[in-house]
Amino acid sequence: MSPPAHRPRHNPIADDGDALHFCSTCAFSDACLSQGYDKSALMDLHVLVEHIGPFHEGEHIFREGDEFNAIAAVRAGTVKTYVLDATGQEQVLGFHLPGEIIGLNAISEARYPCNAVALDTVMLCRFSFPKMALLATRMPGLQAQLFKLLSQDIGKAALLAGDYSADQRMAAFLVALSRRFAQRGFSATRLHLTMTRTDIANYLRLAPETVSRVLRRLQEDGLVKVERRELEITNPAGLDELARAVLRS
Amino acid sequence: MAAIPPFDADLLRRYDRPGPRYTSYPTAPQFKPGFGPAEFAKAARLSNDDPIPRRLSLYAHVPFCFSPCFYCGCNRIITRDLARAETYLSRLVREVAMLGPLFDRDREVLQIHLGGGTPNFFSPTQIGELLESLNTHFRFSQSPARDFSIELDPRFINKGDIEALAFMGFNRASLGVQDFDPAVQAAVNRIQSVEETQAVIDDCRKHGFRSVNVDLIYGLPRQTREGFGRTLDTVVATRPDRLAIYSYAHMPQLFRPQKQIDESLLPSAEDKLGLLQLAIEKLSAAGYRYIGMDHFALPGDDLSVAQEKGGLHRNFMGYTTHADCDLVGMGVSAISHIGDTYSQNPRDLPSWEIAIDNGRLPTWRGMQLDADDVLRADLIQQLMCQGEVNIPELEERHAIDFGLYFQDDLARLVPLQADGLVEVSATRITATSRGRLLLRIIAACFDRYLHQAQAEPARFSKAI
Repeated sequence: MSPPAHRPRHNPIADDGDALHFCSTCAFSDACLSQGYDKSALMDLHVLVEHIGPFHEGEHIFREGDEFNAIAAVRAGTVKTYVLDATGQEQVLGFHLPGEIIGLNAISEARYPCNAVALDTVMLCRFSFPKMALLATRMPGLQAQLFKLLSQDIGKAALLAGDYSADQRMAAFLVALSRRFAQRGFSATRLHLTMTRTDIANYLRLAPETVSRVLRRLQEDGLVKVERRELEITNPAGLDELARAVLRS
Repeated sequence: MAAIPPFDADLLRRYDRPGPRYTSYPTAPQFKPGFGPAEFAKAARLSNDDPIPRRLSLYAHVPFCFSPCFYCGCNRIITRDLARAETYLSRLVREVAMLGPLFDRDREVLQIHLGGGTPNFFSPTQIGELLESLNTHFRFSQSPARDFSIELDPRFINKGDIEALAFMGFNRASLGVQDFDPAVQAAVNRIQSVEETQAVIDDCRKHGFRSVNVDLIYGLPRQTREGFGRTLDTVVATRPDRLAIYSYAHMPQLFRPQKQIDESLLPSAEDKLGLLQLAIEKLSAAGYRYIGMDHFALPGDDLSVAQEKGGLHRNFMGYTTHADCDLVGMGVSAISHIGDTYSQNPRDLPSWEIAIDNGRLPTWRGMQLDADDVLRADLIQQLMCQGEVNIPELEERHAIDFGLYFQDDLARLVPLQADGLVEVSATRITATSRGRLLLRIIAACFDRYLHQAQAEPARFSKAI
């Protein structure tokens, strides 16, 4: 065949790792690379890993109450976590992008305290948690990384508490998404929103109409440009400014 | 695009060959029966869940006509039985009630179009009932930019009708004229006086319609330069905001009514081109601008303005300024365009009626566009509306390498380049002033389905 007519998308799809290299988006790559672990340590960590998927749109990865035995890193796609409240209403807890971990909040309970569902085609790396915990006692870098991930997970929930305007929440949501993508080497200004407006609304505790109204306003102010599920941040500094109160940075 | 392109008889003669009109890409023959009510409902649900869901454009089809025009290729039913309007309306209203709840309430209706057939087969009271039902189940925009348009047969407009339509919110009308020459009118079975047409146009103006369009057809039986010239002079004198000059395509095997036309009375290919040339000269002289395909508009009309700003769009209703709407069609044969899907209701009345009577969405066939379809639709849309494709922008939007992706298509363009229809540079594909009357020929080079299967050559009308 001739050279590829398709250019790489600015959408996140992680490359595959091999025995010596982690996937470029791996949540644990820091733990090893920055600590200068040798190949054998890498191998140790690799045997814990199992590539699973694909999960298709709407497919559940785990459900609330399922027995917890593994955490998983997203390799490709987006995972939504949510709980159902007493009245059966869905409450969105978060969206997990490539390189991010799901299942961390299960560590204390031995059971998953929420549901995780694929929003598009999702591939995962599954880490057996008991084995990982054991390995962490030998690899301080890994332990540190686990703590770091845990504290980030707690921090994320705090992002949307507090008394902020709808515009501020939306800006914070977009800036946080952009930073998370950028961290993994993807475009910080062109985001493909895999979550529905109902999900975004639920997550931000806004009405769906408000989500659209706010986005339209941000668009009129020249901060973003929205075309269906594609969102371009056209004025990053302006959006940062609006998000600052919520993100505190 | 602006100025009317120069006329080039030699070129037009050589490229007078069948091709789709690209009111959609892929074209309707690609729609498949596997796309039914469930797929339609899913498309609606997905479209509600865009971060900013598109606003809505509603199309309602009224299939009835009082009398048969012999040239017609539309989906219509000839009857004088007004009771049929009432039973059709009662079902249409039920379809509206099924469709409305599928779309989130905050999605405003920016455009309504009644087409046919003859929409004014409905009485103003019946049209009022239809609008009332649309207003109940959808939310109308209150923006001054909203377009409520209706196709009118001036022969069946009564005193007070236009005022009633204006009161309901209609602000655009499209009038069928075709030709005022009595010999032609007799040959196509459409006798319509200048006076009754003028009266409707005057009434539209008087009651604040923003825009009036007039449809003419060239290539009809008994048409002559003298007669058509007089028609053009008469029409131009009324200053319609928009004019469509359609080419008559004689395909009696596809459109039964055309069997009534005596082929020996049709102008020769040469004479037909002469008629188009005449139209182009007269419209140019009168200050009209070329929009694309068969459409012309005065410089101040929304279409001309949109074309300059790049906000022009083409769909089943022709050219429009509402690029970012999902289109919801209702009534027999109506087409919808929601998200990346097309779908169509049954073309025969009984099938549509049965679905409605059983409380089912009548979706008959359709398709989910894939990434390639979306890319080509984008490209063809730009060609038909702007006469130009911006290659880097297209590459950016669709993550492709244009030259590699469209290798075969670009090869098909080479003879057109040699004939001076189109210019291709590293960054742009531009229809030349010579090529602008042949946009559909240029667009056809990028139609994957056309080149996949050349099996049905007589499907589409000739380009000119």
